[in-house]
Amino acid sequence: MVLNLDTENRKMQDGNNDDDFDLEVKIPNSIFEKLKSIEALKARESQMCVSGKDDSIPTCDKNSTPGMITQRSCVYGGARVVLMPITDAVHLVHGPIGCAACTWDIRGSKSTGDKLYKNGFSTDLQEKDIVFGGEKKLYESILEVNKLYHPGAIFVYSTCVVGLIGDDLKAVCRQAQEATGCRVIPVQSEGFKSFNKTAGHKLACDAMLDYVIGTEEPEEEHPYSINIIGEFNVAGDLWGIIPLYEKMGVKVHTAITGDSTVAKVASAHRSKLNIVQCQKSSNYLASQMEKKYGIPSIKVNFFGLDETTKSLRAVAEFFGDEEMIKRTEELIKSEIKNLRDEISEYKKDLSGRTVAIYSGAHKSWALVSAFGELDMEIIMSGTQNGKPEDYQQIRDHVCEGTLIVDDASSMELVQLLKEYKPDILISGAKEKYLSLKSGIPHCDFNHDRITAFSGYQGFINFARVVHTAVMTPIWRLSRK
Amino acid sequence: MSELNVIKKERTAVINPIVTCQPLGAMYAVSGIERGMPLVHGSQGCSTFVRYGFARHFREPADIAVTSLHEDAAVFGGRKNLISGLGNLAARFKPDVMGVVTTCSSEIIGDDVAGFIKTAKVEIAKKMGEEAASKIKIVQINTPSFVEHQFKGYDNAIKAIVDTLAEPKDEENGKLNIIPGIVNPGDIREIKHMLSLMGVEGILLTDTSDPFDSPLRPSKADKNPYYQKGGTPLADIQDCANSLGTISLANYASSAPASLEKKYNMPSKVSEAPIGIQNTDSFIRTVKKFTGNDVTDEILDERGIVIDAMADVASRYLFGRKVAIYGDPSITVGMARFVAELGMIPKVVCTGVKNEYFVNDLKKVAKESDEDIDALFGQDLRALDVYLKENPVDLMIGSSDGRLMAKDLGIPLYRVGYPVYDRVGYQRRPIIGYNGALNLVDGITNTILDKYYETQDWKLQQ
Repeated sequence: MVLNLDTENRKMQDGNNDDDFDLEVKIPNSIFEKLKSIEALKARESQMCVSGKDDSIPTCDKNSTPGMITQRSCVYGGARVVLMPITDAVHLVHGPIGCAACTWDIRGSKSTGDKLYKNGFSTDLQEKDIVFGGEKKLYESILEVNKLYHPGAIFVYSTCVVGLIGDDLKAVCRQAQEATGCRVIPVQSEGFKSFNKTAGHKLACDAMLDYVIGTEEPEEEHPYSINIIGEFNVAGDLWGIIPLYEKMGVKVHTAITGDSTVAKVASAHRSKLNIVQCQKSSNYLASQMEKKYGIPSIKVNFFGLDETTKSLRAVAEFFGDEEMIKRTEELIKSEIKNLRDEISEYKKDLSGRTVAIYSGAHKSWALVSAFGELDMEIIMSGTQNGKPEDYQQIRDHVCEGTLIVDDASSMELVQLLKEYKPDILISGAKEKYLSLKSGIPHCDFNHDRITAFSGYQGFINFARVVHTAVMTPIWRLSRK
Repeated sequence: MSELNVIKKERTAVINPIVTCQPLGAMYAVSGIERGMPLVHGSQGCSTFVRYGFARHFREPADIAVTSLHEDAAVFGGRKNLISGLGNLAARFKPDVMGVVTTCSSEIIGDDVAGFIKTAKVEIAKKMGEEAASKIKIVQINTPSFVEHQFKGYDNAIKAIVDTLAEPKDEENGKLNIIPGIVNPGDIREIKHMLSLMGVEGILLTDTSDPFDSPLRPSKADKNPYYQKGGTPLADIQDCANSLGTISLANYASSAPASLEKKYNMPSKVSEAPIGIQNTDSFIRTVKKFTGNDVTDEILDERGIVIDAMADVASRYLFGRKVAIYGDPSITVGMARFVAELGMIPKVVCTGVKNEYFVNDLKKVAKESDEDIDALFGQDLRALDVYLKENPVDLMIGSSDGRLMAKDLGIPLYRVGYPVYDRVGYQRRPIIGYNGALNLVDGITNTILDKYYETQDWKLQQ
């Protein structure tokens, strides 16, 4: 079933009337024609495509065009978001003050214990440091923060400036580690290293692989212990997942890196299985841990009822324990007992509504199944950092006729939203206000989200948030 | 005799900064130009994180372009990126003004930004035609991130905008140039309101009020490209060379007034932000001096309303309460003077910058208020945290970044400055002028009531 997008504003004007909703199959041509009608997008036609048209995916994984308002971030930013949730570590940014000032505590990763990670540390490089080098300043700063906080580790991030002036981050970290006895870990995340912040994700994983994982032994070795990789506990997502596994009899040793500590990450190599949530940032880490420590991994998805169920079953099947498999089935049964009813309440209003996603590459396809459970359809999905395999994933998940977009600038996004008029946009904070200003309801699915969306209860939360965004009477008022 | 005790930073590392780097100030300044577009010459993070910060604070989209410097640019220079960046931005967004904002990387690799801009102009003319190209102005703004802070970046940007765009004519336009500093839309609207009450036409250098607080209405604007309405029109900026004078409402933004004074023999006055009664009085007097216009009854009534509000609450709830203030150097000094006017004690004022004017201005506040003030000079929030553990206060005034610390210390926080992301409306409500003072009196008093009084107590009815 494909929707007719030409019936403009069909839902906006009248929130409850489904009668004018045309289900005639007209796509994909009309989507494509609209795309062509947006003049400014012509130069970027190759970075967009419509699924079902042919087998192509958008041209991607290339430099952003200079002078555009790309939604992309830098390599430092990529490394920072992966490591930041380690709660008892100092995250010291070696660079001018802005790199730390703009990023400390921007990620809504929650903690059950330490709050140290919520502080912002910088070496605040000044002109004279640029001329004479910042190594001494870095060394002193490490000694200071160690004395003040006695952290589990000190991650030292290099920024553009450090790459240019050539400070020897590794050497300074080594010296400082000897002097302090605290782990001091260099993260070579010069911002300009790549156009794609995914390079930063990889650097962060490398820092953990080289300096943390495998350096401590766990307190106990549980026969069914797992690590949840690529789960950052934004808005407390993790707390919707851990209890489910614990009830199955599986011990979640740690997430990497949500609500984790240095010691937990350091002893993660003894776990029996890695389950990988954000496959964009963390597949690499899982495969390296498999190579190094022989830990197998499976890909999971805790977004949506079916995906969550699959993810629980996959772990039970992996361990193959009959008792556990039985417990898991009982757990699933009891968990989703009343949820379908709750969802159908939301579904009444949401059914047939259309969705646009512009977010991290993992989310651009991992949300598709869950939207199906709400009877909503994705008409546009895109990401700023997609690689060919990500777009392949989108193609494999979405319906025919879905527009797939790579690295859209803010202007292009506004134009696409105005032309396609989805009923909701799923994205982060930068796109949030573009969306609202264009009259499109918005659901935050990024760092500063305040509601947990993972697991069974999380999906009910999500359905409620989407329902609220779409049904709020504001959108009737704004059209006057 | 009251004294100012200046406490300088003794630590090397910065822990929980209350300043950021120069480019942010420049991006803010360029965003206040109608159809103005900042183009950051640096890494993508340099624009993305600022855009994110602006979105979080103003709750508005912030369009800031970037030249996307990568490793090859670090080796071979950013020539190609900047020239094609300017060309692309011109062709797709057709802005009136493009402000090239440099960063640490473009400054260190030593890009000849002026030369690149010249080449870009030729390229743009070739592509878009002479006429279209001549309509797009390019301003070069040097903002090395490792020198001073966003306040210097703002100052550099306003000076560059004025120096590049101002066009002197033979006769005066009768207008007054106002440099508002890094403030909120509500503050800029209040400045315009005060000027209008005095019958003065102002040229805001620059006006971020509408771009960062715009209506949600079905857009009648061109589909392509889309700009928020508002901002200072290019024609006004060009006309600023013919004004009666220039008033800067932020002590850190003194370069543009000096430049205008020197080039066009135009009087100028640089002051701290007009926060509170005395500072606003002084602003009104300066406007009167520059324009010759009288202070109207409406203004005196607005002043009277604040004084009335202060009389209602000052001695009953606020007198003798100790306050800690942190953030922007110009705003903190204004806030210190105002809380002193309310009978409160500005016990400690903390700023991340190391400019001497901050110390001098604060000395004056200490002298006038007859209170000893501790000044944390070039410091960070950790320093303030340590200080407050030893020297507790009744109220903190500053940005949202101090929220966790305030919670831990059990001190109520009244939010003022940038960034404020955990409360709504602060960017809309002025703190400047008499109406700003009125907001502050209400907000501060209610914060005190919530914390120190039983709000349901009948005595509050008095």
